[in-house]
Amino acid sequence: MVIQKEKKSCGQVVEEWKEFVWNPRTHQFMGRTGTSWAFILLFYLVFYGFLTAMFTLTMWVMLQTVSDHTPKYQDRLATPGLMIRPKTENLDVIVNVSDTESWDQHVQKLNKFLEPYNDSIQAQKNDVCRPGRYYEQPDNGVLNYPKRACQFNRTQLGDCSGIGDPTHYGYSTGQPCVFIKMNRVINFYAGANQSMNVTCVGKRPRHYRDKGRDEDAENLGNFVMFPANGNIDLMYFPYYGKRFHVNYTQPLVAVKFLNVTPNVEVNVECRINAANIATDDERDKFAGRVAFKLRINKT
Amino acid sequence: MGKKTLEIYSVELSGTKDVEQTDKEDGKERYRGLKNCFHSKKDHHTEKLNKELDLDDHKLSIKELEKKYGTNIITGLSSTQAAELLAQNGPNALTPPKETPEIIKFLKQMVGGFSILLWIGAILCWIAYGIQYSMNKSSSLDDVYLGCVLALVVILTGIFAYYQEAKSTNIMSTFNKMIPQQAFVIRDSEKRTIPAEQLVVGDIVEIKGGDRVPADIRLLSAQGCKVDNSSLTGESEPQARSSEFTHDSLLETKNIAFYSTTCLEGTATGMVINTGDRTIIGQIASLASGVGNEKTPIAIEIEHFVHIVAGVAVSIGILFFIIAVSLKYQVLDAIIFLIGIIVANVPEGLLATVTVTLSLTAKRMAKKNCLVKNLEAVETLGSTSIICSDKTGTLTQNRMTVAHLWFDNQIFIADTSEDHSNQVFDQSSGTWASLSKIITLCNRAEFKPGQESVPIMKRIVVGDASETALLKFSEVILGDVMEIRKRNHKVAEIPFNSTNKFQLSIHKTDDPNDKRFLMVMKGAPERILEKCSTIMVNGQEQPLDKSTAEAFHTAYMELGGLGERVLGFCHLYLPADEFPETYTFDVDAMNFPTSNLCFVGLLSMIDPPRSTVPDAVTKCRSAGIKVIMVTGDHPITAKAIAKSVGIISANSETVEDIAKRLHIAVEQVNKRDAKAAVVTGAELKDMSPEQLDELLTNYSEIVFARTSPQQKLIIVEGCQRQNAVVAVTGDGVNDSPALKKADIGIAMGIAGSDAAKNAADMVLLDDNFASIVTGVEEGRLIFDNLKKTIAYTLTKNIAELCPFLIYIIVGLPLPIGTITILFIDLGTDIIPSIALAYEKAESDIMNRKPRHKKKDRLVNEQLAIYSYLHIGLIQAVGGFVVYFTVYAQEGFKPSILINLRVEWEDSNVNDLEDSYGQQWTWYQRKYLEWTGYTAFFVGIMVQQIADLIIRKTRRNSIFQQGLFRNKVIWVGIASQIIIALILSYGLGSITALNFTMLRPQYWFVAVPYAILIWVYDEVRKLFIRLYPGSWWEKNMYY
Repeated sequence: MVIQKEKKSCGQVVEEWKEFVWNPRTHQFMGRTGTSWAFILLFYLVFYGFLTAMFTLTMWVMLQTVSDHTPKYQDRLATPGLMIRPKTENLDVIVNVSDTESWDQHVQKLNKFLEPYNDSIQAQKNDVCRPGRYYEQPDNGVLNYPKRACQFNRTQLGDCSGIGDPTHYGYSTGQPCVFIKMNRVINFYAGANQSMNVTCVGKRPRHYRDKGRDEDAENLGNFVMFPANGNIDLMYFPYYGKRFHVNYTQPLVAVKFLNVTPNVEVNVECRINAANIATDDERDKFAGRVAFKLRINKT
Repeated sequence: MGKKTLEIYSVELSGTKDVEQTDKEDGKERYRGLKNCFHSKKDHHTEKLNKELDLDDHKLSIKELEKKYGTNIITGLSSTQAAELLAQNGPNALTPPKETPEIIKFLKQMVGGFSILLWIGAILCWIAYGIQYSMNKSSSLDDVYLGCVLALVVILTGIFAYYQEAKSTNIMSTFNKMIPQQAFVIRDSEKRTIPAEQLVVGDIVEIKGGDRVPADIRLLSAQGCKVDNSSLTGESEPQARSSEFTHDSLLETKNIAFYSTTCLEGTATGMVINTGDRTIIGQIASLASGVGNEKTPIAIEIEHFVHIVAGVAVSIGILFFIIAVSLKYQVLDAIIFLIGIIVANVPEGLLATVTVTLSLTAKRMAKKNCLVKNLEAVETLGSTSIICSDKTGTLTQNRMTVAHLWFDNQIFIADTSEDHSNQVFDQSSGTWASLSKIITLCNRAEFKPGQESVPIMKRIVVGDASETALLKFSEVILGDVMEIRKRNHKVAEIPFNSTNKFQLSIHKTDDPNDKRFLMVMKGAPERILEKCSTIMVNGQEQPLDKSTAEAFHTAYMELGGLGERVLGFCHLYLPADEFPETYTFDVDAMNFPTSNLCFVGLLSMIDPPRSTVPDAVTKCRSAGIKVIMVTGDHPITAKAIAKSVGIISANSETVEDIAKRLHIAVEQVNKRDAKAAVVTGAELKDMSPEQLDELLTNYSEIVFARTSPQQKLIIVEGCQRQNAVVAVTGDGVNDSPALKKADIGIAMGIAGSDAAKNAADMVLLDDNFASIVTGVEEGRLIFDNLKKTIAYTLTKNIAELCPFLIYIIVGLPLPIGTITILFIDLGTDIIPSIALAYEKAESDIMNRKPRHKKKDRLVNEQLAIYSYLHIGLIQAVGGFVVYFTVYAQEGFKPSILINLRVEWEDSNVNDLEDSYGQQWTWYQRKYLEWTGYTAFFVGIMVQQIADLIIRKTRRNSIFQQGLFRNKVIWVGIASQIIIALILSYGLGSITALNFTMLRPQYWFVAVPYAILIWVYDEVRKLFIRLYPGSWWEKNMYY
């Protein structure tokens, strides 16, 4: 990097370095005297101390503008996204029926995921609400009044509840359950007071398709949904936020695929049908919908 | 044969011929520079050169020559022959030195400076994509785009730099075409003037004193012809030329005149034997053109700066690559971090900005009559510490002008300013009436007709320099001189010659009642006085006694001591009875008296200094620049001019002056007492380099008189041994080595030869010394302003870099994207950094020492530290505050962001929880991330406005400098804001650019930090002003 104008011998270079590190004549260490080093350290201590204080102050001021209860802006969350459980790395549910290990981790995850939905816990923590209408809980003058949540019992998931299920959510028989959930958005009145439900279809991405025929629709076969029709009730809305809506239970829709064509990859897309949720966002592939891959390997 | 010619040739080049045998060693040393110029070619091309030199044209008789070239010395070539030969041999011009092919120049721009780093970045991008693609076929093309953008940036800046360079080269080449050389040639039995380029072998040409020899010529006849071969052989003595063959060697024989040498006096006719590149000088030129130019100081500075920045970029990049890998990041991610770090560290737009800044200054200098050939010379002039200046034409007006008059026992001062308008001496005396008559009548110079509307001082005169001076002087004072001469009809005249040393004419007077003839005479004062027996005082003739003769001598010595050329004037009214109206005067028989005349007065002339020069010299002095005068003139004249312009200041003395004052011998004077020295060429010749060094260091005011152009080179080398940056002026062909050797060669635009202009770095369009000083001022200003520009540009690099480092270490979502950084570096920051070039100087620019080449760097430690670790860090903190604000108000409070990176970037995680329990899809997060980019971008932009304002000064307060004096700064600020607005609101919908529409209030979040930057810098400057020389200044002043 440094251009050597005059050729220096190796010894000279070492000597110069030595002198730079400690110059005994001027008592300079790395080109500065002790006092100079003291000054410079003190200076940076003060300067960076001040800068840290300034940063802390401005951050504190900024955080005063943010409430604990709702975020200041929610413009990005106009359309809630959909997501599946079990959560896998590439959103693909692959089940080797004969190979227990291939699906055991899914089962473990689901067990854990569904634990809060156990009827006993629900009954203990949450209210029984009237279906078909929003469960609104205005503050009524009490600031940040803690909010109650509605029950979503695990038994509502029927065959997919996994309670006393020897098939392990159907994974051991090649009829797996996949759970669909909608992202939580504070103060979002999903469905705009009309009933809403989740529907799923087999749908191969357009550029993989053969001449307009959608094989995945055929390969997907039959499925059943719990609650029936894939309904999501209005009573689970609105959500009031983590801090004040402590025991909020997210509604789920379980889809049990009954006879997927084995040994092929099937693309499944589930979307929510709700009056105020658009599901056709070009850029956000998960706005109001979720796409995942299903593959049942049987020998 | 070959060997022999070579020997002769090298002897010629080393110029030992005019050096005494005894000091042969010195002689060799002295001409070393010249030899060096021609050295390289000798080794490689001796073979070719020797073959070419093997010509025998000088040995042939005229008849043989006519036969050989198919020409006739009376009628010349026919036009058709000439045209054929021209087509066959090409024009008679030197092929310009082989230029680097355009494509190479272009490619050099592509890989120079930071380009290499960016290429590495681009290639890393493509490699990263390659790895991604091999792992996952559907991986996004983002990295490919980024790589392309980086490549595009390099190519565009490369094209820009190339275009700038080409433009500045063009200015020069058009300038060169402005001055075609003419040749006087016989063709078709006719004498005609044609451009020298069209000469062909066999043409018969005529040359006269003052001409440049248009080609290699075999002389056929010559009258008192002398040529200056110094540009070829290094001999400063004029060489006589004749038509006789005197030496076997082509280079030594007298009947050959060489291309591009100068004919000093006499006339000659000759036949062209070689043209263009086949001439001797053409061969040398083509061989010597390989001599590389040294790097300009600014090029060294920029290189140094590029090294610093590249060093920082590479070491931080590698450091964090290692950190990233040891933090268990994937290598692919680490590569992408590396790209980000490189892009953030490299000020992509800076080199283009520097080029623009330099060319803006070059333009400004061109307006002030300094035409700069290569942009970098702009700054070199600013670091100049010694100027070696010619006298004639540069320091002086290059025309004789009447400076003093002596009559009635009194010296009067005439106005020597450029327009002569203010002649205040007493014109009521009768003596003046007589003197003015003599001045008017005893003068053969005439104005060229048709110049009535031209100011007197600018009219063209036919006549020699002193007569011209007298004509203009009398025209200014008396009015229409030609009319006066008409009324006083001239009946006889003896022109001036060097034996008589006087000039005489006899006139009828314009007084109709006075039938006497008036004889007027002027000449060398002592000769004139010898012829006089009376002297005129207050209009009355008085006998010339001893006391008046004494007064005359005193005045004569005094005027002579001023270095002026003194003329004496006398007259005589011839008695009407002896010389009736019909008397016929015979100038050969001298049938009239030339003694016992009446002495009227003295008049002295000098080539006066340009009126702007004394100021300019004072400026140089206060700027710590030593001005050395180098002239061929007489030491007394040189010293007088040096004194009048201040090169030798009023109160300093030379050794000789002290000796004279104390009435002791020169040897007894303590040399340390003298500040000034006048050294003649002869003295210089006897000096060893050590003695010259001693002279240059010990005396602050030096005048070299009676020097040859070759000695100029020795002087330049001497100055450079003192580690000085030397500027040299020159006009002759033979000045070229000195001009080339100097750090900055300055050729004269009016008086300069093409060779000088080619060798020079700068051309002075008005030949005025004061323009050099203006140039120095501009050069210093540009150095200061470049410092400011670089400081401004470097600052935000830290603000761009910190996000990456924090991203890697803390795992925040990326605060600012690579593309966004490019939009700062090449978008919002460009115009502001150019605007700093328009900044006025902080008051002290010409009051400080020239910068020390090695100590005062463009980018020094203080500048880098202050930009990086002070202002840069404040900016980074400010940027982060804006970033955190955007995230917090959208739902992600700072605490949750830590270590969120992996999940945040995983496109399969579509239910990421924020601080409120809301869940985000990948795209929703991505959009927020882009909003964060935009916010950070705006944060930096807002703080860069403050940075721009503080960079206006380095020491003074902004309020001393004036906030609104540099309007361009405000254009820059406006451009920053407008570009940012367009990016955010206009292009916010184009996802590839990663900009989003930012809420208006976020534009103001960083304002407190902008104010902090301003206040902090004001405090810094205040302490620097309050405690000069303190620890604070040493560490904080850049």
